[in-house]
Amino acid sequence: MRQRWKEWVVTCLILCISLLGARYCNDYWAYVGTLAALRAIMAVGYDVLLGYTGFLSMAHGTLFGIGAYACAILTANYHWSFWVAMPVASALTAAIGAMVGAVSFRATGFYFAVLTLGIGLIGFQIFTVSSATGGVQGFVGIPPLPRIAGLDAPPQRYALYVTLVMLAITYLAASAFVRSPLGGACKALREDTTLARSLGIRVGLARMSAFTFSSFFAGAAGALFASISSFIAPESFSVMGVGFDVVVFVIVGGMGTLWGPMLGAALLTFIPELLRVARTFSLLGYGIVLLVFIIFAPKGIAGLVSAATLTKLPRMFGRRHHAERNAPPSTP
Amino acid sequence: MLTLLPQQLVNGLVLGSTYAFVALGLTLVFGVLLIPNFAHGELFMLGAFFTSALVAFGADFWLSVCAATLAVGLVGLVLDQLAFKPIENAPHLSLLISALAASTIMAQVAELIWGSGSRITPTSIDGVLRNGWFSVTYLQLVIFVSLLICSALVWLIINHSRLGLAIRAMSQNRSAAALMGIELGHVRIATFVLASALGGLSGALLGATLPISTAMGLGPTLKAFVVLVLGGVGSLPGAILGGLGLGLVEVLVAGYISSEMQDIGTFLILVLVLMIRPQGVLGQAEVER
Repeated sequence: MRQRWKEWVVTCLILCISLLGARYCNDYWAYVGTLAALRAIMAVGYDVLLGYTGFLSMAHGTLFGIGAYACAILTANYHWSFWVAMPVASALTAAIGAMVGAVSFRATGFYFAVLTLGIGLIGFQIFTVSSATGGVQGFVGIPPLPRIAGLDAPPQRYALYVTLVMLAITYLAASAFVRSPLGGACKALREDTTLARSLGIRVGLARMSAFTFSSFFAGAAGALFASISSFIAPESFSVMGVGFDVVVFVIVGGMGTLWGPMLGAALLTFIPELLRVARTFSLLGYGIVLLVFIIFAPKGIAGLVSAATLTKLPRMFGRRHHAERNAPPSTP
Repeated sequence: MLTLLPQQLVNGLVLGSTYAFVALGLTLVFGVLLIPNFAHGELFMLGAFFTSALVAFGADFWLSVCAATLAVGLVGLVLDQLAFKPIENAPHLSLLISALAASTIMAQVAELIWGSGSRITPTSIDGVLRNGWFSVTYLQLVIFVSLLICSALVWLIINHSRLGLAIRAMSQNRSAAALMGIELGHVRIATFVLASALGGLSGALLGATLPISTAMGLGPTLKAFVVLVLGGVGSLPGAILGGLGLGLVEVLVAGYISSEMQDIGTFLILVLVLMIRPQGVLGQAEVER
């Protein structure tokens, strides 16, 4: 309990620092920061499924799109307030995600990936042909984020504030989830499904909650994305586009940690922007980075960092004294 | 409506032979080496582009097809050694992600070289076979016949050669195969190169019938995975019959229900099949241990 309390304080502190830092961004960097934070929201939610539960879903690009379109339709056509529409859109995405999960968990491993990929493609097809989504022309005229009284930042910076707050909420929710008994069950079934089942762990419930959880936050990220961009089109939600990106963020950052995917999303958003590369090159770069990490460092940056702290830090601080004290007498 | 049926069936078989061709290579790699090779579609795409480039350079079409097939086999060798060999014993999730990465890399490199537009491969084979019931181009006949020849060849190799014996041994039990003195590394290379060359050949032939683009690999790969699910992984008859069956169903759905339903229908079949029989229609139930 004490640790949870500490985590809340640290998260809020980091949020405050980043909000203060965001004040000094110009419009361009505020936009890039917003993009990074949006991707981080998705990546953290996705890691609960990929990193903690061990299932590779390719349907999350489409789930992201469902959140975006749901929020767009609710705010533009039905004039709902964004603050109501976003939770509703996320809940709707979670519900659809639960259905996708119910179908996909019939299979495991590789078939699970193919099944979610197929479902993702069906969803993408529906985005392009449906009249409610505006088809390939896209959905125009989504109302911008409503203002909170007393905050008169320029729109781009305001979007960054809102997204950062949402990221903090996502992080705390994910942290609570993975520490809960359900999260423990997820980790157990990732290691050995049969063993977990034989220990009386409700495997089906655990992996369904992980899928629903990640869908909820994919939907939330989508809703934010729609309101911030004011225009959305199907190509933003393609299976091999955003659905692939989020896999890269989680793997590069580090599966099975929550800060790793955020770091991965941030690095892989800011570095291509700093280098000002075209999308073809950045996608190629993502592919190469993903390949290199999965072969040489499957635990991602988080794994590298924790390996470094485990081996180097004790040597730098503790173990040298320890070694000197216990050094065996040198014998010729 | 029914007067069109023979033509629809022929179209379905032609489309299905595409899927069967791609599934043939995929099922070899997946069945024997347990690699879910998402990048197989990119090998298919490279086959089409190599052929197109060679023909544009002035080479004979058939010569280009052969050269492209060999070249794609080599690309497959490199792909295997770079992306899959180093993580041979990693969990299958890693292999899947590695395949996804390799697929993206190959598609993007191809886009850098050839651009994202589509192009057409000129061929010398341009006749149409017509009769009272249906018409079919000679090129489509060539594809269908080469599918049959290739399947027969693969079947011969698998069932009646020393290499095939080794391949079958490896797919049954790796350590037992290694103890019997089979060089798993050699079998691996042979299998992967054979499968890649099949992918390249299918791309080379199909690229001549339709406009090609660097993004063309994804569709057939997914369809081929559907075929694998329908036909059971590692089963050659499953790949051929599943591919032809899927093609027939797609064309009939597009013809008699709605063309927009064609792709959605395919994946609905996939979802339904996996819901009812998660191990595939012809596959054996796998006991989790």
